[in-house]
Amino acid sequence: METVGLGKRYGRKQALSDCTLSIPPGRIVGLVGPNGAGKSTLLGMACGLIRPTTGSISVLGGRPGSSVEQLTKVGFVAQDTPVYAGLSVADHLRLGARLNPGWDPELAQRRIEQVGLDPQQKAGRLSGGQRAQLALTIAAAKRPELMIFDEPVASLDPLARRSFLRNLLEFVAELDVSVVLSSHVLSDLEQVCDYLVILVDSRVQLAGEVDELLAVHYRLSGGRSDFDALPPTIEVIQAEHTSLHSTVIVRSTVPIPPSFPGAEAVTLEQMALAYLTRAAELPGTGYSAKALEAQR
Amino acid sequence: MIWLTWRQARAQTLIAVGILTALAIYVVILGLGIQDYYDSNIVGCAADNSCQTATELFRDKYQGSAALTGALLLAIPALIGIFWGAPLITRELETGTHKLVWNQSVTRTRWLATKLIIIALISLVLTAAFSFLLTWAVDPVDKLIGSRFAAMTFDSRDIVPLAYAVFAFALGTTVGMLIRRTLPAMAVTLAIFAIVQIVTPNLVRPHLMSPITTNVAFTKEIAQSIDGIGSKGGPQNGDSEPVGVSGYNKPGAWILSEPLNALINADGSAFTRADMKACMTGDFEKDLVCLASKNLHFSITYHPASRYWPFQWIETSIFLALALGLAGASLVRIRRIS
Repeated sequence: METVGLGKRYGRKQALSDCTLSIPPGRIVGLVGPNGAGKSTLLGMACGLIRPTTGSISVLGGRPGSSVEQLTKVGFVAQDTPVYAGLSVADHLRLGARLNPGWDPELAQRRIEQVGLDPQQKAGRLSGGQRAQLALTIAAAKRPELMIFDEPVASLDPLARRSFLRNLLEFVAELDVSVVLSSHVLSDLEQVCDYLVILVDSRVQLAGEVDELLAVHYRLSGGRSDFDALPPTIEVIQAEHTSLHSTVIVRSTVPIPPSFPGAEAVTLEQMALAYLTRAAELPGTGYSAKALEAQR
Repeated sequence: MIWLTWRQARAQTLIAVGILTALAIYVVILGLGIQDYYDSNIVGCAADNSCQTATELFRDKYQGSAALTGALLLAIPALIGIFWGAPLITRELETGTHKLVWNQSVTRTRWLATKLIIIALISLVLTAAFSFLLTWAVDPVDKLIGSRFAAMTFDSRDIVPLAYAVFAFALGTTVGMLIRRTLPAMAVTLAIFAIVQIVTPNLVRPHLMSPITTNVAFTKEIAQSIDGIGSKGGPQNGDSEPVGVSGYNKPGAWILSEPLNALINADGSAFTRADMKACMTGDFEKDLVCLASKNLHFSITYHPASRYWPFQWIETSIFLALALGLAGASLVRIRRIS
């Protein structure tokens, strides 16, 4: 997925601005950000539901939603996992079979049985979790090369959430697809994704391979004065001070100087939280993806 | 895509078929009654000189029902536009299911084109069945006492209702796509369609072909057949007021120059109230002979009865073309929805 200067404006509200990303194929991409950050807008543009106002986007080498081939390659599960209330589960599978040349009926059948959906049940009477499973099944059985999930677990209870994500991982392993999924809950994505994009206030704050990102971020602790004279190679992302003690998340491409004996590796959650907090504290000064690329 | 379209339209189609079947049964019974009455009372009425009474009774008995069923047929295209056209896209947008269906391996254009074609065909078949049935059932009423060009009659017979049905459906779909919300889209569709239904017979239809103007000699027979002669103003306007014929009826034709067609003297001057008074003796028969002897004529502008079918075809073509235009516009527009 490649985007260049991508932006979307709804009336006077800028939903996404100057988004430049280059995500290699074969990843499980986590898109994290608070509500209203522009996650749905970005994903909507990736599957062709939403047209960009500025910039361009290409997914798997094509313009999203532009042709049957492109539609065949991308599977999308929308935020509230919409289904036709009046159609049964079996009708939905038939819909998938009729509308998708690459439909995998065995996979669809197996999945429905696995998650215990009654084929005769009207989709309008399914629980949120069951509906999400049905939407996931339809998106998967069309055998896309890329699956996009917009907040797939937002409306699910913790148990359904876990089983949905577990199912998702099984799928990815079985079908060999790339995945992009968004969430405002970090812990949802922590176990699944190997590529992270952080989006706050319509701007990309951070984007990169999880391993590479974790390798250049550290958590330092010490007295407050210890942080007054950091070398320019170390960028402070977020600092927390108490009267005696400070904890600072930093990004550094060179090894941390020995004056910080307490330097530790960060977890994905700590790192992401640091970026989210920074963006929240300084509204409108978020880093563009380009600036981040340059820093790397 | 055909399967999905039918699966989604199945319930509404079956409801419509149910309602129309009930209506059709009523229309068949009505038609048989009309036919029966016509055959036994009107045909051959000249023999016992009962034509006028029989026609009056016929009118009392069936004109109301014919008008009512005609009005129902007029409502069908409106209902199709409101309940099938307007929600076609808005319902998907409101429930979010467009996000599901537009992400299957079918382009939006094909998705909409299939829906438009199939539901337009269903509308066409249902409206055609009802229209042809009604045209057959009330044919004697139209022939004997109605005017086939009357606004309500012309709109609810033969092929014109088919074009209206397709047009209303395309209109509803387009309005729905622009407004994106079901209820307002329904209201706007109804408003536009109602305006079209009022404007077309009054302002458009008379000009579909250029009307014929001709002079009619004011004979005694004509004097007997018309509603009366009189002037526009009251008696206070004086004797120089021109006088005209009202209620002249040319069988099957659509007379545009109503309500009063001015009477003209043989020398081309206007026939005035004073001229008329000269013939008024109080004896109606004598008055008529007197008026007829004056060699008067009046001019009418009309469309002859033979233009009924050309008019049906022209109006059908216009609304089918409008429907095609609207459908084309929505097919282009659907790609831009985001």
